[in-house]
Amino acid sequence: MNVIEIKDLTYTYPGASGPTLDHMDLAVEKGDFLAIIGNNGCGKSTLCKIMNGLIPHFITGDMEGSVLVDGKDTKTMSVGEIAGKVGYVYQDFENQIVRPTVLDDASYACMNYAMPDYLERGRKALRQCGLEGREQEYIWQLSGGQTHLLALAGAVSLEPDVLILDEPIAQLDPRHADLIYGVLKNLNEKWGKTIIVIEHHTEYIADYCRHVALLKDGHTEWVLPSAEALRRVDELQACNIFPPQVTIAAHQMKKEGMLADGMTLPTTLEEGKKAFGHLFFRRETLNLETKKENAAANKKTAADGNLAAAVTPAAKFQNVSVSYRAVKGEAKKIFRNLNLEIRKGEKIALIGSNGAGKSTLMKLMTGLIRPAEGEVWLKDRSIRDTKPEELSRTISLVYQNPEEMFIKDSIESDIAFAMQARHAKDWQERTEALLCRFRLSELKDRDGRLLSGGQMRRASLAIGIALNPEILLLDEPTANLDIATRKEIMRTLNEMKDITDTVIIATHDMQLVCEWAERIIVLCEGRVVADGSRNEIFGNREVTERTGIRPPEIFDMGKILNPGAFCYTIQEFRQQFGCGCV
Amino acid sequence: MESLEVNFQIYHYWRSKCAMKGEKMMQKLSDNILDKLSMDFLRNQVLKNAYGNDDTFIAKLDPRILLVWYLFFALVPWFVDQVPFLLGAFLLVAATTVMARVAGLVLALFVVGVFSQTGYLFLVSLLFGGNGETIFPLLILTLKVATVSLASVTVFSGLDPDRLSNGLMWFGCPERLSFSISYAYRILPMLMEEFQNVLLSYRLRGNAPDGSTLSGKIRYLIYQIKVIVHAFYPLMLNTAKRSRTTVEALELKGYRNAATSPAVKKLKLSSLKIGYDDMLFVAVSFLWMALTIFAAFLFR
Repeated sequence: MNVIEIKDLTYTYPGASGPTLDHMDLAVEKGDFLAIIGNNGCGKSTLCKIMNGLIPHFITGDMEGSVLVDGKDTKTMSVGEIAGKVGYVYQDFENQIVRPTVLDDASYACMNYAMPDYLERGRKALRQCGLEGREQEYIWQLSGGQTHLLALAGAVSLEPDVLILDEPIAQLDPRHADLIYGVLKNLNEKWGKTIIVIEHHTEYIADYCRHVALLKDGHTEWVLPSAEALRRVDELQACNIFPPQVTIAAHQMKKEGMLADGMTLPTTLEEGKKAFGHLFFRRETLNLETKKENAAANKKTAADGNLAAAVTPAAKFQNVSVSYRAVKGEAKKIFRNLNLEIRKGEKIALIGSNGAGKSTLMKLMTGLIRPAEGEVWLKDRSIRDTKPEELSRTISLVYQNPEEMFIKDSIESDIAFAMQARHAKDWQERTEALLCRFRLSELKDRDGRLLSGGQMRRASLAIGIALNPEILLLDEPTANLDIATRKEIMRTLNEMKDITDTVIIATHDMQLVCEWAERIIVLCEGRVVADGSRNEIFGNREVTERTGIRPPEIFDMGKILNPGAFCYTIQEFRQQFGCGCV
Repeated sequence: MESLEVNFQIYHYWRSKCAMKGEKMMQKLSDNILDKLSMDFLRNQVLKNAYGNDDTFIAKLDPRILLVWYLFFALVPWFVDQVPFLLGAFLLVAATTVMARVAGLVLALFVVGVFSQTGYLFLVSLLFGGNGETIFPLLILTLKVATVSLASVTVFSGLDPDRLSNGLMWFGCPERLSFSISYAYRILPMLMEEFQNVLLSYRLRGNAPDGSTLSGKIRYLIYQIKVIVHAFYPLMLNTAKRSRTTVEALELKGYRNAATSPAVKKLKLSSLKIGYDDMLFVAVSFLWMALTIFAAFLFR
């Protein structure tokens, strides 16, 4: 039985020139776990709002065709009635939470629809979403993943048959992402809910979803079982969707004749084991790679040895302790006796789970937070007595949320702002050059807030390097971006390598870490638990298990096939396991 | 408590650096005072004020009882001039304020507010030929203002916003008002955080005037005020962008439905119950005030 049926639906936003959804048909079976994928702007979010009745009841516009939820037309139902059947979790879920305590928020909808047992329903929803025992906590005590689960519980409390989630794991580290999908799986299997996710992470689709619907230009291209859908590598890539790395690797190797022509492409590690099992691991390629890396490292240590006495580090943390004020009770300690040295010219990735102290470390360096004990040094001076304004000449921080960097009404004046304030002589030419370099010239008069995700990031990067800082700090530069935009930003970051000096990136994005960083620092509970090259970090089981960091899928695939393998990209995988010549 | 802790940290830092010269230490101190008045501090105080004291005796009282209690202490002192009565009332509300564990910032504002009011009146009266005797009626006025203010502080800061708004709703205030109160407390910390970040953007990219000389300090102050004003524009735009989701979510959660439904109101108010503690509170307040009235008659 179909719980949602969309027939020949065309919808145009008020004032828009063309329809966002164009003759769309979609049927969702009861009890399904469906992933909706598609290019940016193909109408995914609009589709969600059609299914939960916000369109046409709250957002007007031109709507033709029919939407049936549980056999009833949404036009004849009220928003409340639909909310009882279809729950929705936004991508910016923290704005969806309106009450101060956990139980309050989870039961709020039930109370508003005058259900006498609203508290009981809230408690049940919290149980279903794995938040049992946190009923009385305040929402700002929750981590990002828990906040997401609370938003989900708020929707679940009305006991809808269908739950829709818009990019549930975009901002989360892998451990929290697993948690969310674990809860969804449980809701689907144990409680019989139909789950619909908009998802870019195809690895998760392969592991959890039953079907995949591809949207293209406002209509449904196809709906297929997920494994089959993910095997359509060329078609997906044409829509800027990247299938799991194992699938892409197998696809490329099949094309080159390294794998049998008739084989089915693997989509999960399990299937990958079978598909690649017969491949021979070429240790000599690895030796080549490691030799290169070792040589580079040796050169560096030699250089370090020579210069260590003469050159002071770019930044240094000496026995630093930091604590935050808590609303209640003891102040929360973020760092306890942190010691760390950052050398000039290093490209560092700072990783660790949400709340491990990555942002705090960056704010310490910019002087925005002062340590309770210990000293932070930039080059040869302690910054305890220096105002952040003064430090901004040597160090620059790009926030995780680019909106907070836009303080003028066009990105051109935003980029020029810092240079103008400092009366830089050639600020006009330099602004021009930066706009050009980050491909923003055509957008220069637009307000930064109104740009797309990728454009906003590029603009914030341009603002960050406008003053030519000696140290550039980037907080999660690829968070909340779809994979195509992420790749674009990664390319930009790689291009920036020649014009920046010391760069530190805090991130959850392990592909970025593996492809960009030269040194990786792992933070866990306010301490540096590992510090080294990617082989040293990802090759160390103890570290990865303890901190919950996860290397790219293809790395795990290599390790499963041969514990001695170190492949971080699909290309390296092909080199190390392909039997043809390289 | 918390400021004590911070000071303790500073003290430790000093001890470890005892070689530092006294002059430098003074500068440290003034830096830290400035630091305390940061957005982060304000945000913390707002949260603390709203939710940090929800386990006190006062916070657990029935909001309706407290509102009636407040009505008495907000109105009666204005019409009474007997010092014993006023002093008694003041002591009582001072005690409840202590019991409600009100956040430090609110108390500081209270002290500054009350004494600047009457202090300046005293100066004005001196200017117009008053003398030491003028201070007595002014002290009575101060006592009245202080009593009324502390009563408000107890009720509005000691109760958490949700209980307060439920109490107001019982007395017939519209649902929208009570929702606004609790939602404001929900959104305020977020707004302050955002504002803090926008301000930081200005600080990091702007070029602050050098604040080492006196005129430089004044220019620095003017610069800071300018930046704060400028920062409102991006704050408003960012908030507008965020609130779109919130408005839609409220619609989905049936907020509009609830605002007009008497059943929902009944459901909300059913959580209000008058208990033993409420009786005790009323009885003690009543007895104490009776005692002060009796004292007032004795001393007349």
